[in-house]
Amino acid sequence: MLEVKDLRAGFDGTEIIKGISLSVKAGEVHAIMGPNGSGKSTLAKVLVGHPSYEVMGGEVTFNGENLLEMDPEQRALKGMFMGFQYPVEIPGVNNAEFLRMAYNAKRVNEGKEEIDPLDFDDILVEKMEMLSMEKKYRERNLNEGFSGGEKKKNEILQMAILEPKLAVLDETDSGLDIDAMRVVADGVNRLRNENNALILITHYQRLLEYIKPDYVHVLSHGIIVKSGEKDLALELEARGYDWLAPTN
Amino acid sequence: MTTTLVDATDQAELALLNLHKKFMSESRPPEALLPLNEAALQRFELLKFPHRKHEMYTFANTKELVSTVFSLAMEAQVSKDFVKSHIFPECESSYLVIADGVFRDDLSDYSAIKSAINLVPIEEAVAQSEIKEYMADTIEKENDVFASINTAFLSRGTMIDVPRKQQIETPLQILHVSTGSTSGKVTSHPRILVRLGEMAELKMIVKYVGAQGNYFVNSVMDLLVGEQAGITYVQVQEDAMDAWHFSKTRVVQGQNSRVSAFNAFFGNQLTRHHFEAHLKDVGVELKLNSVSVLTDAEQVHNFVRIHHEAPHGTSAQVFKNIVSGKSRSSIDGTVIVNRGAQQTNSDQLINNLMLSDNAHADTKPNLMIFADDVKCTHGATVGQLDEDQLFYLKTRGLIEKVAKELLTKSFAESIIQTIEFPGVVEYLENNLLKKLEA
Repeated sequence: MLEVKDLRAGFDGTEIIKGISLSVKAGEVHAIMGPNGSGKSTLAKVLVGHPSYEVMGGEVTFNGENLLEMDPEQRALKGMFMGFQYPVEIPGVNNAEFLRMAYNAKRVNEGKEEIDPLDFDDILVEKMEMLSMEKKYRERNLNEGFSGGEKKKNEILQMAILEPKLAVLDETDSGLDIDAMRVVADGVNRLRNENNALILITHYQRLLEYIKPDYVHVLSHGIIVKSGEKDLALELEARGYDWLAPTN
Repeated sequence: MTTTLVDATDQAELALLNLHKKFMSESRPPEALLPLNEAALQRFELLKFPHRKHEMYTFANTKELVSTVFSLAMEAQVSKDFVKSHIFPECESSYLVIADGVFRDDLSDYSAIKSAINLVPIEEAVAQSEIKEYMADTIEKENDVFASINTAFLSRGTMIDVPRKQQIETPLQILHVSTGSTSGKVTSHPRILVRLGEMAELKMIVKYVGAQGNYFVNSVMDLLVGEQAGITYVQVQEDAMDAWHFSKTRVVQGQNSRVSAFNAFFGNQLTRHHFEAHLKDVGVELKLNSVSVLTDAEQVHNFVRIHHEAPHGTSAQVFKNIVSGKSRSSIDGTVIVNRGAQQTNSDQLINNLMLSDNAHADTKPNLMIFADDVKCTHGATVGQLDEDQLFYLKTRGLIEKVAKELLTKSFAESIIQTIEFPGVVEYLENNLLKKLEA
């Protein structure tokens, strides 16, 4: 599904990701772990096409197509989703209306008809119940005044509605208390199937107790220093990251 | 150079004096108003039309306006259907129609609130000493020449009197129709005076529209808000494109009174709004929100003066302006905290969203503080759409055009949402924000 080959990328002319290769297949969950500043968030942003980040080398294909040539909206329409670490607040944009716009953008792209507010509301209510979100969040402005936990739930709500092929969740567990994390993790688990894939970017192993990864990759100074199966996360929890730092 | 400029202004003033003579003979203002007409005309002669550098007209260029020759708009035909199309759903039987400055009972329907308010022709209202003194005092202190002109041409104004303790839940709409002209240019001088007795409450929606273009509407509205009284109002300016809209709202607030004002501007070739508030007694609250959505060569200029004259007053202002094309917006806003107005809280925020390189947004926030125990803030921003918000929307599959339009609308929507009349909110969403759709 996603093939990353020797990707190098950065910000303001500074290379942050220094050659990453990664292969994600349908049905898989990959966790990317690493200390602060290792390049985890940069990788996520490059994958979804943030305009402030520049690709300096390598290639990325998504279902066989050159991902790096696509605009962020094209990537989204092709089935890529990012759950932001810090979702922006947009005052004046009604949450339910925004969700419906995004849902309809996807439908139109698939050659389907747009869905009207009433029918959409049924879908929305069902997904919100799955995430134990109070209905009032439909009427509120997009993320405006939401607590950290509600913002993260709102990200997963968008994922539930858009049903992406590949979701990149950037530090989705940060700022969540244990109950909220359980709800978010349950929501994510329910969305998993053999046709989609997940990349979890996280600093701590905590989230991985709830969403079990198939593979764990450790990022340090812009490169993957170790890849393994889910036991690696436990080892990291016990030993920290220092023993994996690149020697150069 | 200097002499020609002076000559041009002199000529404009002469033309106005001539128009005033015509007004005296043709409109025949009521006897009781003659001293006010005369005093205001004298004030006009003293103030004169603004020169280019006039501090009240730094941003609004009135040169073309004052050199235009107008005749007086005469009571013209307005159809009931036209009126109905401009009445908000919450005001179906609570609206007054003012056509070219003249209250039209035949076009109005205020049956829902008839027993709660008194409508008094202004010439009768000035028989009351309170109103007479207020009018004389404001004529003398007027420093905005166009407001002086309004009073000089005052003949058919209306006082809306809400008696003590009368609390009216149903909003009252005042529909100002300028009938305009298909030939020469016409002018009218609407005047509304709203007086709220002690503990009275009123909700009001004011709308300005034109049946045709080619007019200059020069309006004044006075709000005299009694002790512990409250008024919430929205003013919607939606005049014809080739019209001039000048309006002044003068607010005088008594002890512990509350005013919540909202101005929505569609803009046209030149709109100027002057908001002047006097927080005269202790514990007063004033809120002023404003939104302008301008395209093409439209202009809207706001001139705001808020005078905190007593302790424990609160004023809060938020302006949101969207300018695109070659449009121009300006906010010249000063908050004056008089000596003795301790414990004043005042906030002012001006946000401008620029959608084109040729659009223009001027902001001149200002604080003049003569008391030492006050909390006053002001801020102004001029900017483009937020890149992070834009990116966020795109990652959800919204194409650039749709994402930009959504964000642009949301900028105005966030303030429109503060309006408490759902019919007005819906109207502005469907009409004012519609201007942003390419």
